[in-house]
Amino acid sequence: MATVRRRGGDGLRPWAFVVPALLWTVAFFCAPFVVMAAVSLWERVGTDLVASWSFVNYAKFFARPHFLEAMANSLEVTAIVTVLSILLAYPLAWILAERVPERWQRIALICAILPFWTSYVVRSYAWLLVLANNGVINQALTGIGLIDEPLSLANSRTATVIGFVHFFVMLLTLTIYANLKQLPKNYARAAADLGASRFATFVHVILPLTLPGIMVGAFLTFVLCIGDYITPQILGGNSDLVMPQLIMLQIGRRADFPTASALAILLMVVVTLVYIACARWLKLERA
Amino acid sequence: MMTTTMRKSLLAIGTSAIALVAAGPALAAGELNALVWCDHTDPELIRPFEEAHDVRVNLKEYEGTGTALSLVEQSRPGDWDVFVIDGIDVPRAIDAGILGELPEGTAPDTIFPEVALDELQVRDGKRYAVTEKFGYNTVSFNKADVDPAAMEDMTALWKDDTYKGQIAVYDYYLPVIGMVAMGLGKQTADLTEDDLPEIRETLFKLKDNAALVGEVVSSQTAIATGEVDILVGGGEWVTAGLSAENPDLDWILPEQGGVRWSQSIGVFADSERKDLAVEFVKYILSPEAQAKLATSSCYWAMPANAAAGDALTDQQKQALRWDDQPDYLKNAQLYPSPDAELDAKMQDLWAEFLQH
Amino acid sequence: MRRAGGSGLGTAAAVVYAGAIYAFIFLPVVVLVLFSFQDGRFPVPPFRGFSLRWYEALIADRYLTAALVNSVIVALVSSAVAVTLGFLAAFGLARFRLPGAGLQKALIVAPLTVSYLIIGMGLLITFNAIGMPKSLFAAGIGHVVINMPLCFAIVFSQMGAHQANAERAARDLGAREWQVLLLITVPMMGPALFAAFFLSMTFSWDEFIISFLLTRFDVTLPVEIWSMLRSGLNPKTNAAGSLVFFISVALLLVLELAVFGRRRAR
Repeated sequence: MATVRRRGGDGLRPWAFVVPALLWTVAFFCAPFVVMAAVSLWERVGTDLVASWSFVNYAKFFARPHFLEAMANSLEVTAIVTVLSILLAYPLAWILAERVPERWQRIALICAILPFWTSYVVRSYAWLLVLANNGVINQALTGIGLIDEPLSLANSRTATVIGFVHFFVMLLTLTIYANLKQLPKNYARAAADLGASRFATFVHVILPLTLPGIMVGAFLTFVLCIGDYITPQILGGNSDLVMPQLIMLQIGRRADFPTASALAILLMVVVTLVYIACARWLKLERA
Repeated sequence: MMTTTMRKSLLAIGTSAIALVAAGPALAAGELNALVWCDHTDPELIRPFEEAHDVRVNLKEYEGTGTALSLVEQSRPGDWDVFVIDGIDVPRAIDAGILGELPEGTAPDTIFPEVALDELQVRDGKRYAVTEKFGYNTVSFNKADVDPAAMEDMTALWKDDTYKGQIAVYDYYLPVIGMVAMGLGKQTADLTEDDLPEIRETLFKLKDNAALVGEVVSSQTAIATGEVDILVGGGEWVTAGLSAENPDLDWILPEQGGVRWSQSIGVFADSERKDLAVEFVKYILSPEAQAKLATSSCYWAMPANAAAGDALTDQQKQALRWDDQPDYLKNAQLYPSPDAELDAKMQDLWAEFLQH
Repeated sequence: MRRAGGSGLGTAAAVVYAGAIYAFIFLPVVVLVLFSFQDGRFPVPPFRGFSLRWYEALIADRYLTAALVNSVIVALVSSAVAVTLGFLAAFGLARFRLPGAGLQKALIVAPLTVSYLIIGMGLLITFNAIGMPKSLFAAGIGHVVINMPLCFAIVFSQMGAHQANAERAARDLGAREWQVLLLITVPMMGPALFAAFFLSMTFSWDEFIISFLLTRFDVTLPVEIWSMLRSGLNPKTNAAGSLVFFISVALLLVLELAVFGRRRAR
């Protein structure tokens, strides 16, 4: 629908609806961001914070290999997780939308969400138990004689990726499913009538039409994954640190807020760049 | 129809939320805020004090003095009452004006003299903290998979890849840097910036062999569940509490020695409930509480008050190696205690170590 | 009607694939719940027998129950504020032509693209600077920041011409603006508001890092579970996770039945 323009004389009244939300956002989102940006130009010297207004903390990021590595790790893990989750989720979403009888679909979806109603901290911990040397997976594999020595799964980047993929497969299945269900059935039928094989129909009709949905899901995955602290902290074995872990090290162990702020801003810059790259698929639309 | 239902349910939610908020502060008569290591969070230890004084003890646990000071910095004066801190860091806390003076007679006479650390905790005749618990950061291992004799030499952990993938490292830079320094024949008390390159190189070799680096519980979990067989930085605090479940878990002080840690307890200078805080300190140092602290659910270790011996069972004393302490104490050095600048360098080194 | 063309082999492959993914999704939860009943200290195989001792320990843990109450309070109050603010803004932007509407929308949804960690850290530094102590209240503010954009987006996407016409009719009949809003728009937007509130609750209930950074003693449940994890290895953490799971599932079932029931009746 189009915006309803009311007869003149509204005056300031419409603002009354919008201003509370705007004020909240300015006070508790924009202002903290400005404060953080300012603090990132300060410096931690011994136990004191010095307002030195320099780019020392940013220079530190580029000068120290283990800082740069954290960013590389973050990007790598996030990229692997995003791609893997999409690849695993798409077929499932398709099966749910096309192969499962209509009245079971809802139940199937609820079942997919169900395990995520455990607490998020607990979920990572549960994966640690599953992946441990004498955890369920290793015991099962040695039990059936597939391996002799337990696999080192827990406390590694592999564990982090598994923990992430677990959550994002569910999220992406929902997004892609919703997208598939919105496609008019007759598109696929029309393609078939025109002699396209099922594969060709998929590649040339279904996939392009669901691409925007995938992009939205992928971006969501990217943002949530790159900013997450819990999963890598619990599952990653404190090796191959990612940015949130590095940020928390600065805050938690030495109250070095300037360095933490600088790192956070650099992380935001990266997310923003990715957002700009995906922006044309990510418009907020009204139904 | 729907409007009424909606309004009713919103009203109900609102009312119950307000009721809950209003009920919140009315729960406890008095409160005491303590910044502690996780062994103090055992209800067995805290509840008797709470009941005796009709107060609620709020505990915030942390690992590592840096974390504690960071939390203190994020607080306002008067927020905290009791502080449990590494013995070696007490002077730092006194310098920063965090710890307040304790009244005469707070410290029992029965503290093991080797761990009393009065030179750190008493200044100008005023006492600021009392040692409450101590132990060692050395090597813990699983006897079923590792030959105890091989653990006598600490360098075995990093000189080749015999134990690759079998090692976990405790995630606290000071004791582990101290241990590695001792393995390299250095004195923890004399470490300077010039020692760091060699320590760094050794740490990296150790990291190549390590499966993980973990905090108190994750490193305990790793060795208890068979994830790893050796824990560098471990000691009785890891294995004593677990040995009832798995008797193969053991620890050793290698020939190069180990790092001795100790916790001290004191009162915040700007506490607004000093009397109660001092009572709490006295309680923790009492023989009964000392025994509970020594065998707390998070980690076990020797009580600083020798009088606790009467309150411990023989089996508990056995697990704590009560009778071996004189020998152990001789062969252990204190944590390194770097100045702020060296400390920052060590922390950076540790971050590099994690990332390696 | 099922679509034609599903070969037997294809169906089998679909069943196997879906089964494998579902197994993957359920694996940690099954293990979590199973070992919450472990009769022993280690929540890993072998299973030593069935015991409820860790649940007993859980119920006796007053820190945990306090955290549970805190979580409920924060979830309810912050979601109510987030939905209210989000709804008002959506109404304002959908019904009136305001200068810079695009910019306003972008500003309101901007927090969606920023990590919780960064939002929490910004608030922590700011609150430190103005001397505001850490508290449940501070964490609640953070939860509104992360949930309001979501509520706004949901409600805004559902504001259609249909409601606008009803609102206009009400106004023509002499209703005041607040009457229109409360008696026409809110009821018509009921489902969207409910969805927004429900989703906010879920996110607030499960949020860790903001609460971790901004609370001190009055922690929320995820923060309490985090410190449980760091204070000893035992199946009590399993029991806590399982309990949260059972409560959430029960809640979900009740809601599902309520919503389903109403839909049928219509």
